[in-house]
Amino acid sequence: MQARKPQPPILNPGIKKGKKSLYEHIEPWLFMLPALLVFSVFLFYPLFKTIYLSAFLTNSVGQPKVFYGFKNYLDILTGRYSASFWNSMWVTLRFVFFVAFGSLLLGLTTSLLTSKKFPGRAFASAIYAMPIAIASAAAAMSFKMIFHPSIGLINRLFGTTVNWLNDPAWAFPVICMISIWLASGINYIFISAGLRNIPDELYESASIDGAGYWRQQRHITLPSLSPTLFFQIIINVIGAFQSFTQVRLLTMGGPNETTNVIVYSIYLDAFRNFRFGSAAARSIVLFVIIMIVTLIQFRAERKVHYQ
Amino acid sequence: MSSVSLTRKHKNALSAMLRVGLNLPLVALIILPLAYTFMMSGMPASELYSRLIPTRMDFISYTFVFTKTSIPRQILNSFIVAGSVTLLQMATCSMAAFAFSFLQFKGRNFIFMCILATMMVPWEATIIANYLTISSWGWLDTYRAMILPYACSAMGIFLMRQNYLTFARELHEAAKLDGCNNWRFLLSIVIPLARPALGALGAYVFLLQWNQYLWPLLVTNSDKVRTAQIGISQLFDIDSEQIGLMMAGVVVVLVPSLSIFVFMQKQLIDGLMAGAVKG
Repeated sequence: MQARKPQPPILNPGIKKGKKSLYEHIEPWLFMLPALLVFSVFLFYPLFKTIYLSAFLTNSVGQPKVFYGFKNYLDILTGRYSASFWNSMWVTLRFVFFVAFGSLLLGLTTSLLTSKKFPGRAFASAIYAMPIAIASAAAAMSFKMIFHPSIGLINRLFGTTVNWLNDPAWAFPVICMISIWLASGINYIFISAGLRNIPDELYESASIDGAGYWRQQRHITLPSLSPTLFFQIIINVIGAFQSFTQVRLLTMGGPNETTNVIVYSIYLDAFRNFRFGSAAARSIVLFVIIMIVTLIQFRAERKVHYQ
Repeated sequence: MSSVSLTRKHKNALSAMLRVGLNLPLVALIILPLAYTFMMSGMPASELYSRLIPTRMDFISYTFVFTKTSIPRQILNSFIVAGSVTLLQMATCSMAAFAFSFLQFKGRNFIFMCILATMMVPWEATIIANYLTISSWGWLDTYRAMILPYACSAMGIFLMRQNYLTFARELHEAAKLDGCNNWRFLLSIVIPLARPALGALGAYVFLLQWNQYLWPLLVTNSDKVRTAQIGISQLFDIDSEQIGLMMAGVVVVLVPSLSIFVFMQKQLIDGLMAGAVKG
């Protein structure tokens, strides 16, 4: 073997070693500038401004007038607006629960039904995914007709005379149902993708062992799919917490505040009652809830990755 | 042997039939609201109160939508707003993502984490402060009030960065050796290579913006800039002529978003997968 000759140093005229020029120092910031501007002006600043506002009573155009400390929070948690606030929290929690699990179940069902070949499968898949493309405002207008008391489809089909969206017993389930429909598309897409990632061999060896359909679902599909399902529940929960359009267009939070979800209550507080301070306090509550849910997701994902 | 394969064939055919049978009612249920909307948009006014299913369809309501309402103008507004937001996000996100994946600088990870952390802030929680800012600038009832707050997104930066990280580092080194500066490198090499990711971002952002309701509702009050989702929600009225009009309006406003869904399904789903990180 021949002894290795020392390699001549590679000359890189383009890359200057040592000190960077001033421009090279600021260049990354130029690339980030538009993004940082948008985030600062429309995200960080308003977040802090919301916290600031939540410590004040404001006039009707939202200027802070009287320092109020934590009293806006006390007003909603225990004070004069607490009845409405806790009602809205209770409505929101129930709404989130039903919509998160309802749309998950619908998405899981439709995914399982289209996991194997059959004539018309592509069409069925497209229909199940389609609600992702539908605006909640457009959907709300359709459902407003469908549930209309005198000329709506439902009453005419079943011969009932229920005023669905104005009935304290029915408005909430109807709003939930519409929201489940709207959210079912994204559930279908994610759960189908999760199903496709389960290796076929698992099912093949199981059916050789004589496991039937339901046993296979319970012992193969469900465990393999559980990270997807968990992730999807979190997405559903975050999405449901932010619902507004269908409530505003169909029930205006009523009847008797039975559909007054938190974002609608923020909207009412600020833009109908002009209590911007109290609305800011509600916004911070919403922010904290979403933050906690997101942190749970981050933590769980880390567990999945490191296990 | 042949009897075994025959029974398997039968079994497969049976299971396919079972699948068709189980899917049919669900497909019908999911598509029902849209089918009903479409049906009502074409139902002759004389049959509205007497019949459930029209004997014939007429499309006069669509003519009315385009001649008697502000919907055409509002659709134009929606295109201007959603289109501008889409282009802006494609630009701002690909630039910022470039810094986070190709450039070395102090605090890079910290700033990237800060941007990712914004995913925890629901837009609805900042809406009051943003509204007050926009109105104090005298921006109410302008396009920019609807466009600029959405000119960038953490999800977009994340999506583009993930994509850039798959490119070979040597590409950047080679370009530098050739005397290509970073801006030209981004424009002429990175962006063409990242076209699929940009398409996904674009389809997703456009759809999200097209479907916006709360923010445009707050910051607009005239048909001059008001978007179509607000427009159709104001058409509600149940006199016989108005029902067809309203339902036709809904169909017209659904066409652009459904077209994106049909023609850009792959990009849209890729975008959704990335965007769902935010939810």
